[in-house]
Amino acid sequence: MSKNGFTRRQFVKAGLLTSAGAAVGAGVLKPTGLWAAPAKIKGPVKVGYQAIMSGTLAGYGEFHKMGATMAMEEINKAGGIAGVPLEVEFRDSTLKKPQAIKNARYFVDSWGADFLAGVDSSGQALALAPVMAQLGKPLMVTHAATEKLTEIEVFKKGIKEIFRICTPTYQDGNAAAFVAQGLPAKKWATISPKYEYGYTCWKMFKGTLGKLKPGTEFVAESWAPFGTTDFRPHINTIMDAKPDGLYSVEWAGELITMIKQAKQAGLFKQIKHIMLPVGAAMDVLEGLGSEMPDGVWISGRYFFMFPNDQRNIDWVARFRKRWNHYPAYVSETGYSAMFAYKQAVEAAGSKEAKAVIGALEGMKMGSPAGERVFRKEDHQAMYEVPWGLTASNPKYPFKVMGKQVVIPPVEFFNRPPFEGPGTHPPFKG
Amino acid sequence: MSTKATYAIYLGIIAGLAALGLLGDRFMVYMGMRVMLLAIFALGYNLLLGRTGLLSFGHGALYACGSYSMALVNLHLTQDPLLGILAGVAMAALFSLIVGFFCVRNTEIYFAMLTLAFGMMIFSLIWNLREITGGDDGLVGISRGSVFGLPIVKDGQFYFLVLFFFGLTLWLVHRIRSSAFGLVLAGIRENHQRTSFAGIPVKRYRLAAFVVSGMFAGLAGSLGAMLQYNTDPFSAHWSHSAEPVLVSLIGGLQTFSGPLAGSVVFVVLREIIERYTQNWMLWFGIILLAIIMGLRGGVMGGLEKRLRQRAATRKGGE
Repeated sequence: MSKNGFTRRQFVKAGLLTSAGAAVGAGVLKPTGLWAAPAKIKGPVKVGYQAIMSGTLAGYGEFHKMGATMAMEEINKAGGIAGVPLEVEFRDSTLKKPQAIKNARYFVDSWGADFLAGVDSSGQALALAPVMAQLGKPLMVTHAATEKLTEIEVFKKGIKEIFRICTPTYQDGNAAAFVAQGLPAKKWATISPKYEYGYTCWKMFKGTLGKLKPGTEFVAESWAPFGTTDFRPHINTIMDAKPDGLYSVEWAGELITMIKQAKQAGLFKQIKHIMLPVGAAMDVLEGLGSEMPDGVWISGRYFFMFPNDQRNIDWVARFRKRWNHYPAYVSETGYSAMFAYKQAVEAAGSKEAKAVIGALEGMKMGSPAGERVFRKEDHQAMYEVPWGLTASNPKYPFKVMGKQVVIPPVEFFNRPPFEGPGTHPPFKG
Repeated sequence: MSTKATYAIYLGIIAGLAALGLLGDRFMVYMGMRVMLLAIFALGYNLLLGRTGLLSFGHGALYACGSYSMALVNLHLTQDPLLGILAGVAMAALFSLIVGFFCVRNTEIYFAMLTLAFGMMIFSLIWNLREITGGDDGLVGISRGSVFGLPIVKDGQFYFLVLFFFGLTLWLVHRIRSSAFGLVLAGIRENHQRTSFAGIPVKRYRLAAFVVSGMFAGLAGSLGAMLQYNTDPFSAHWSHSAEPVLVSLIGGLQTFSGPLAGSVVFVVLREIIERYTQNWMLWFGIILLAIIMGLRGGVMGGLEKRLRQRAATRKGGE
């Protein structure tokens, strides 16, 4: 036996002392200070969160913040993450790419963040991918929807640091096509934002609906630049084309403006089937109030009435009590992102990036939006978000979803390897 | 100040920056690069604004010409960073020649408005030519490669390439300002009629100043694309063109070192404020307003004046 080794006697002594200590400790005191088992995880778990907090879309940032803050409060009240507290710091992303990159670098290199979350714009998310690879910390995207992020940056280029907890453009394009398939509309048109998000969603919608329902015509497209306040030329273009259905991924304030102006122009009388993939956002529903017509198909990344289970109902009640608001979808994704990190850290027993990334891959988690699974190949969370028809409900001062349709994610999410036959919906069997 | 002392100060700045690159943490190194890139942009820009007296609102577009050309070369032709930078500078020069040709016929507000219009034209081209430019997503996946076999992939390595070009810019701009060409530009600013009566083709000189400053914008743009690994259509937007204007104003229009000091204030001050409040825009705006209105001639102008006054009182006391 080496000099430095334990002798048998010492070993027995140590064993006795430890068991005695454990017995006393467990019975009498909670192990604290030197008595406590050394924590596997040191210091607080720090999450840097960035979202848009200035300008016309600042309301989105506030909703992000409410969700993430509430998660932090609940987690810390219940003992933290693996026994250590969770700390969240917020920064304004300004929707500009250089700012997003600076924020991420500040969080990791200066503030000492273990994980990042947030990000609203697709351009920012794509710009952050190589930066996160360099910084070596996970980023959980809670709003940006571009499928390129998960298909190209994560799957093709192998940037493992990126995860996304919200639904991607598949919900806006592909799932919408599944709903439209069942509608008696043969001719579709769009008014959508004149940037990548608008183009991509319309392309997906056309592609999938064309395959689901051959013979469908796409008769008009009108692209509205960012910051459009007068939608009348766009509305006229669409009404002149006489489609049966209108598909529009306009969002936030611009969607509100468009609906008000479309109503004045009589568009809802002429066109019977309207699909708004991001129409179920709370800022839109609350902003329009009773002005939102009935019978419009809307969806989002989460809707507070779905799923109709105890977990979600309780969460919405807690959220309303804490903030006096109904949760917006970014509140849910921000909230659940914190719990995803909690679950992953506790499963990995570490907050090291590699271990946590490993734990997140393929992880199942319960959340207010229902069960989520992070797909291993592309780090995209799969969960159900309903499409619903707007309806009045005396319980709410705004329109909510009446009839709801849920398409299972496996049916409409593009599948790895994302290129070639059998990777885009509809899938056989 | 004697020329020797001036050179000593600038060598000191370069040495300090080199030390930052070697000793600073990764965030400081990154912020150092942001400052230097903005300084390259603004030092070149101030040849036009401070030296020639022309206010351009289109230099963001020239910056974008640099970064998109660099990115396109990098993604499709070669990953050699120097060739990419060369392409960026050349493209910025070409565009500034075209834009400048039309703009230098006017001065003052007319010149400013025309550059704004051309700049926004380039912005919408970038926004709409999605197949080439990636639309609002920009071009992603730019790699840094290596220079003469030296890797510049890591920030700590790339920093020295930026520092090299920063030093080069300092030297070039200094030489231009003290050259005969630079003096003619100052003459044009003071009185363009008198200058033209002296037999100098004023428009041609204005165009030359425009192209030279555009090339520095292109240089900053191509380095920026490598720093951030992407290109941003908003870099062509007029709001980005306003940055070198602000930086020059903060630092001092009539001084050589003004844009340099302005860049430090602009980047570092903003970062400090952001650490304390999410209403950073408000505080940043108030402080900038105070600097611009309170210190006539900017930070460097004000400093110079103070120093001169002190020297004068000391002399008076003797």
